[in-house]
Amino acid sequence: MQFTEVTIIAIIKVALLIGGLMTAAAYFVLLERWVAAWVQMRRGPNRVGMPLTKFRLLGLGQPMADGLKFIFKEEYTPAHVDRRLFLLAPITILGAALAAFAVIPFGSVLPAIEGITEPIELVVAPGVDVGMIYVFALSSIAVYGVILGGWASNSKYSFLGALRSSAQLIAYELPLGLGILGVVLATGSLRLEAIMTHQAAHGWYAITQPLGLLVFSVAAFAEAARLPFDLPECDQERVGGYHTEYSGIKLLLFLVAEFLHMITASFLIVILFFGGWHLPWGLTGHEAEVTGWGQAILRVVVLSVKIFLVIFFFMMVRWSWPRFRFDQLMALAWKVMLPLGLLNLVAIAIFLELDHASVGWWQQTFGDAAQGAMIVASWGVTIGAWVTVAVAAPKIADNRPQPDVLR
Amino acid sequence: MKSDDPDIRWIEPPKLGLAGKMYLPLFLQGLRITGKHLIAPKVTVNYPDEEPEIANPLIYRGVHRLNRDDQGRVKCVACFLCATACPAHCIDIIGIESPWPDREKYPESFSIDELRCIYCGMCEEACPVDAIELTSLYNLTGRSREEMVFDKEKLLSVYDQTKDAEPMISASMEVTP
Repeated sequence: MQFTEVTIIAIIKVALLIGGLMTAAAYFVLLERWVAAWVQMRRGPNRVGMPLTKFRLLGLGQPMADGLKFIFKEEYTPAHVDRRLFLLAPITILGAALAAFAVIPFGSVLPAIEGITEPIELVVAPGVDVGMIYVFALSSIAVYGVILGGWASNSKYSFLGALRSSAQLIAYELPLGLGILGVVLATGSLRLEAIMTHQAAHGWYAITQPLGLLVFSVAAFAEAARLPFDLPECDQERVGGYHTEYSGIKLLLFLVAEFLHMITASFLIVILFFGGWHLPWGLTGHEAEVTGWGQAILRVVVLSVKIFLVIFFFMMVRWSWPRFRFDQLMALAWKVMLPLGLLNLVAIAIFLELDHASVGWWQQTFGDAAQGAMIVASWGVTIGAWVTVAVAAPKIADNRPQPDVLR
Repeated sequence: MKSDDPDIRWIEPPKLGLAGKMYLPLFLQGLRITGKHLIAPKVTVNYPDEEPEIANPLIYRGVHRLNRDDQGRVKCVACFLCATACPAHCIDIIGIESPWPDREKYPESFSIDELRCIYCGMCEEACPVDAIELTSLYNLTGRSREEMVFDKEKLLSVYDQTKDAEPMISASMEVTP
């Protein structure tokens, strides 16, 4: 494949991805407002349609109106800020959020097209062997955006918000990493495509590693700062967290970056635990390659629908569960999620060892039902561990004044 | 305040059961409720496109009207009870000697500042002859403050507009001297 060809294809993919992600983020804001309204039995935004006409289109013009509002609003920079860092913070957080998508596939492979030597993979940087590490490295940079925004604002509200947010993001990065270790162990690769292909052949990790899914998705909620872990913002309680001093387009960058984090999280949940673009029973093929355009498009559609469902779940959770207190948040990370993540890693390692050992003790004992026995065992570990943790670890630190303490 | 103060009542927090400690069962319960609300019919009225349904127009407190008696005269006897009762002081009456034999006074001018009014309905309560009533007209708009001060003619025209939909509480004029 020629250099120019590679470059042009990469540029087209980057343009598609950034355009698609920005549009998706804007429309997910609309969806978020709709879900919020529907859950509260309101109607939600349904009036902004095509400009200068009477077509309302169910309010689908709302994201454009919201975006224009942010762009035309006065962009006020307080006199007391560190201007360079103040500008750098939103750019950092948005840049890192977008760059993480370089290795996340948004579809499988396109079949051979005439004039192009190799099939086009629908991922900006195909074949990155350390894909998972790359995503995690870039999602950690989000902490820099948060802490820079809070620090450069030179405001106590912003700074306190930034401290709380960075404490939360750093604390939940551990369970986030532990949650995927089981997946990586079972697949034997850090490539997202390999993880999906493995799931197509051996069953989704959501079924075989429920504890990993639990730990990972709780940590993903916290990393994306969604309710019940939205302490970085907590709209109803605080001035605005680390972006208190921001306005106009810089604030928009922060908000878009937050939505991108949620989209990244749902991409990862789907790809790592729900089989990516694969359907059960091999409906979309077990192989990494595709047989034709129909299968290629079907895989993109399956992936998009799964991601949409996960994001919808994110939005429903927002209205179903109250926010954690900060000490509860920290207790959940260190006292519950961290041990559960470690247990998940150990349990998966033991199961794999039993399965892989050349003597095949596991296979001999259970015969044809070995796979099923493994699933039952991992679900047993999950439920047992969750009940143990619930009974043993007091997640609720009671900080209220007690009569005997005061005396 | 000491902690053994007899005025302090120490209340034990409710003990959590296993489901409460495990969070997830309660979470599913919450998700079920949210899902139920998601598909429930909307309670918001899509206002400019559809008008809200007013349950009982006779007790709704909207724009005022001045009622006419059976001969088409203004029913008001300029007793000032409504203006006295009004907590917002938005009613302004000039009463003069009545040209009719059945009452002593009648309002030469009667104006209500609809912007100042808080639509509490005290004037309606106070009126001894049921001359002032609140209608179910709720979408009141105007281009200036002056326009929103309704004079006697305008209040009477509100009556003409709404008399069929919302009949007067007492139709006949019975004033005990």
